[in-house]
Amino acid sequence: MSRTHVLRTLLVWTLLELLAALQVPAVGGGPVLFSWLRTPVEPVAMVAHGAVALAVDLGLGARGLQRAIVENRQMRIDLETLRARQILLQADLAALREIGDFAGPNAEFDAGALFGRCTYRDLIAGTMEVRTARSFILAHDTPVVSAKGLVGRVLRSEGRRHWLQLLTHAAAAVAVQTEDSLVHGLALGTGSNALTIAYVPRQAALERGALLVTSGGDGIYPPGIPAARVTRIRESDGPFLEVTAISTADLHATRMVLILPKWAPAGSGGLP
Amino acid sequence: MRFKIAVLVAVTLVLQRVLGMPGMPAWFGHLILPMIWIVAASLVRKERHWPYEALLLGLAWDLLFGPVVGPGGIAWTAACLSLYGLASVVADRSPRAWAAFGAVGAVVVILVQRLAVMPLGLASFLTFGQLAWSALLTGLWCGFVGTVLALDLGKHWRAYQVRTLR
Repeated sequence: MSRTHVLRTLLVWTLLELLAALQVPAVGGGPVLFSWLRTPVEPVAMVAHGAVALAVDLGLGARGLQRAIVENRQMRIDLETLRARQILLQADLAALREIGDFAGPNAEFDAGALFGRCTYRDLIAGTMEVRTARSFILAHDTPVVSAKGLVGRVLRSEGRRHWLQLLTHAAAAVAVQTEDSLVHGLALGTGSNALTIAYVPRQAALERGALLVTSGGDGIYPPGIPAARVTRIRESDGPFLEVTAISTADLHATRMVLILPKWAPAGSGGLP
Repeated sequence: MRFKIAVLVAVTLVLQRVLGMPGMPAWFGHLILPMIWIVAASLVRKERHWPYEALLLGLAWDLLFGPVVGPGGIAWTAACLSLYGLASVVADRSPRAWAAFGAVGAVVVILVQRLAVMPLGLASFLTFGQLAWSALLTGLWCGFVGTVLALDLGKHWRAYQVRTLR
């Protein structure tokens, strides 16, 4: 039997089977032949439908993932913001405690004292910007202290913003004395963290490391506030010693300050 | 000759129809009379072409006995092709060969027809006994025809007439 015969036989048999299938009704109506024709098409249609559903699901999933990523990123930013705020609040709380510890024993500081937050500082220029919780018009030369010592005085006040002149300012001068009030001098700013203590007599019993506090003799700062610590003492040809000190207030790290409006010099105005 | 054969085929089909009529013995239904034409074509013919005659016979079988037209054509052509193949390897042309070919053709027709209607959901129950009965009766029928042909009754009749004329 040749190949042609085989093919012809298969073709004829196929045609006859299709003819028979065209005559037999299927269960759902219509010939069996139609159900046969649907048989290879339905899986393809199902696969296509599934593929479309999968693509839609993938699209929705990608969209949800993108949204989740954005939300996650936003939450991370919020979390970092909260952590930063927490750190700032902890620092502010610590500063407030320090200032409270500092101002507590001094009733005169506690009465009417204002808390201010340092928002900007320029140690080279010797200036600092401080913000208070509410708007105040502070008098010129109102003293400002921190937990570790004297900071400076108010130069200008505008609402909640107040500009200070630090005691390290080149034009600043503070009357100081030793804790036992035996040695007096005048702390002059140098434009750096160092202070020059002027007018210290040669016979003064002053040692390196001695703490200098305000004496109140300048009429600006209240007495007894730590201002500087002696770092170097040299004798000179003149009648005074060459004394160098550094500010006790850590001006680099000061975040909270205590403004003392009650100690503003008379005639310079006060709180409204 | 062709017309004569076609008439005889039609007669066989009619007889097959008669065998299935009510009142006839039940085992008559196992006998496939038209199988003799397939067997004869495979055993007598010298030149064999693709069995268009078997196809027509199968379609006629379907028209007369089947629920749908088509599977009979497949079954009868399959039987014819299988008998062609069998005849090409079997040299025997005796009545026994006729009987054997008839049995094989009956088995092929029945099985192939059941296979062909199976995808359509129309396949009926078939037992080995039914198949064996069909093979046996169809084989006997074909063997009987082969025996008649082998005896060549026409030749004996003509010889008898010649003797009586003397």
